[in-house]
Amino acid sequence: MTDAELRESLHRAGYIADEALATTLWLAGELQRPLLVEGDAGVGKTALASALARASGLQLIRLQCHEGLDLAQAAYEWNYARQLLAIRLHENSAQRVAEADLFARDYLLERPLLQAISSDAPCVLLIDEVDRADEAFEAFLLEVLADYQITVPELGTLKAKHIPHVVLTSNGTRELSDALRRRCLYHYLDYPSLAREVAIVRSTLPQAESGLVEQAVEFVQRLRREDLAKKPGVAESLDWVRALHRLEFKALPDDPLALSGTLACLLKTREDRFQLGPERVRQLIEGRRTVGVAEKAPQPG
Amino acid sequence: MPSTESCADRAAPQPLEAIAGFAAMLREHGLSVGVAEQQAFVRSALRLPLERCEMLDAAWRAIACHDARDWRRWPDLFARYWHPQRTRGTTRVSGQTRPSRNLQQIVQSLHDSMAPGAPRAAAADTALQVPQDTLLQDTNAADLPRAQGGASRTEALHDRSLTQWLPQDLAQLERLAEQISKTMRKRLTRRWHEHSSGRRLDVRRTLRASLRTGGVPVHPAWRTPRRERPRLFILVDVSRSMQTHAQLFLRIARAFVTSMDARVFVFHTRLAEVTPLLRSDSAAVQEKVNAVTAGFGGGTRIATSVASFHAVHARAQLTRRSRVWVLSDGFDADEPHCLADELACVRSRGARIIWLYPSAQPPASQAMQAVNARSGLVERQRRLDSLRDLAALADQLR
Repeated sequence: MTDAELRESLHRAGYIADEALATTLWLAGELQRPLLVEGDAGVGKTALASALARASGLQLIRLQCHEGLDLAQAAYEWNYARQLLAIRLHENSAQRVAEADLFARDYLLERPLLQAISSDAPCVLLIDEVDRADEAFEAFLLEVLADYQITVPELGTLKAKHIPHVVLTSNGTRELSDALRRRCLYHYLDYPSLAREVAIVRSTLPQAESGLVEQAVEFVQRLRREDLAKKPGVAESLDWVRALHRLEFKALPDDPLALSGTLACLLKTREDRFQLGPERVRQLIEGRRTVGVAEKAPQPG
Repeated sequence: MPSTESCADRAAPQPLEAIAGFAAMLREHGLSVGVAEQQAFVRSALRLPLERCEMLDAAWRAIACHDARDWRRWPDLFARYWHPQRTRGTTRVSGQTRPSRNLQQIVQSLHDSMAPGAPRAAAADTALQVPQDTLLQDTNAADLPRAQGGASRTEALHDRSLTQWLPQDLAQLERLAEQISKTMRKRLTRRWHEHSSGRRLDVRRTLRASLRTGGVPVHPAWRTPRRERPRLFILVDVSRSMQTHAQLFLRIARAFVTSMDARVFVFHTRLAEVTPLLRSDSAAVQEKVNAVTAGFGGGTRIATSVASFHAVHARAQLTRRSRVWVLSDGFDADEPHCLADELACVRSRGARIIWLYPSAQPPASQAMQAVNARSGLVERQRRLDSLRDLAALADQLR
């Protein structure tokens, strides 16, 4: 699959990637390197991995990272309850259970990392919000990401049957180590351009009025230029357009008060709500009449 | 007479040398590009079809950039090396030739010489390996003290005053702040936390974990003492006498907010916390700080501000693990002895105070003379007027 074909597949899977992102994803597959995607919340980092899985027809295995995440939750764990049960069952029988039998694959509980490594078919492994995990876990990931293998002391080293497509996402809450970064290709996912965001919303919500989508996305793009504590991402744009569509708006209303209830989809902190009073909302709405998307979008040919 | 550039373009392109030169240039600008990255450059160039070689920009960006800072700087660096004619400010010297940097030609040449089946492929150990002569060129570049092991994030710091601030200084400052925060000595606290290699058994957690194994404590839980970095407080003087330096001191403060979650206060006649304003990377930070301090009136009341700091704002957080940096020229409108008294209150809580000033000479105001007269109040007084000053201070800020 070439990068252009991958881009087309992602588009069909509902993810509109620009050329650079498609090339990076394609390159990650070609070089068999993990891809680290950073960017603000809501720009589509996690959606990228699921779209890649859909576009390639592969299984998506997701590891959600959090503080205190350990090997037992991320890679593997021995099924101690089953091992104890096996010991008790054999206590009264003539055939004693050997230690090697207890540490066989049957008693191993596979967690996402081991599932991805031992999967019989290629898969997409999403390690989501890796910055939330501890540094010790990050160090453990190095072996997995560099050699695609996991060492289980009782069993030995388990190598990947198929190299998974690995996508790591980070919101930048903690600085990741250089060692981890250098094992990955890197892509910084920024907020989409106006034309691209309109295309994303249209492809996700085809039932919404075209005029409404254009005006709403323009509003959101202007809103991002405001000095907000939490800028609305693509997910927020989609929520907002969905809400406006449910309320049967065909276009953005001129009255900011009519919008005030729906702004909860875009503004997620008290400071931002306070900062964006009715007058500022009116100014942002009025801005929409100066330039239309149709005029701004590049003409084909 | 043909131009210099056309002569250079006609010269046979040396793809590996050009790529190695590009990598060296990236390293000089602080990107971590070692041999592995160079090999990935070559591999990606070989895999991309010739007609798509303009996409090498995106591909190499994914390989060479490791964080958002590198990502933002990439377009400029790429254009500067591969399309110098498009970047402003370049000079050409008549008669001087330079190697061709036509990316299309470089990639074409790479494909010709290194693609599988090409005659030269057999000569190298592997078609994707960067030859030794190219590596030698890198080694020469790596002889510089700042580029050890083929890649370094450290750049040469300069003596330029902070008042002559340039946008590229910001990246250096952020790295420096990160480096200083890492060197800050972690101290043991009274609290313990769960740790796989801890030395004390966590009985409660062990018993809880044993429930899933029928009461057998198969999963012992351990605890270890918690170590924490010092808590940093930065007090920035934004009075009129510090007008030229305040904005730059706020930049420094912001770097420490990012790297070690410092708390930052500004003062002239009163004190106000600006940490939340510095958290977002917004161009409007200075306006917000101005808005916060707008009603403060003229003059500088350092002693009053320090009193407000230790009695109100940081009352519960000033301990022997605290560090307080005061960035000020020391001119105080309060009674001369007051500043020493208030600093003594901060010191009595165990916090260590460092005074940083922008002038060539240490502050000689009456208030500072009173402070100096009482030994042990201010641990150090150092000049801070350039990034080099800050780097030199790194060891003393632990």
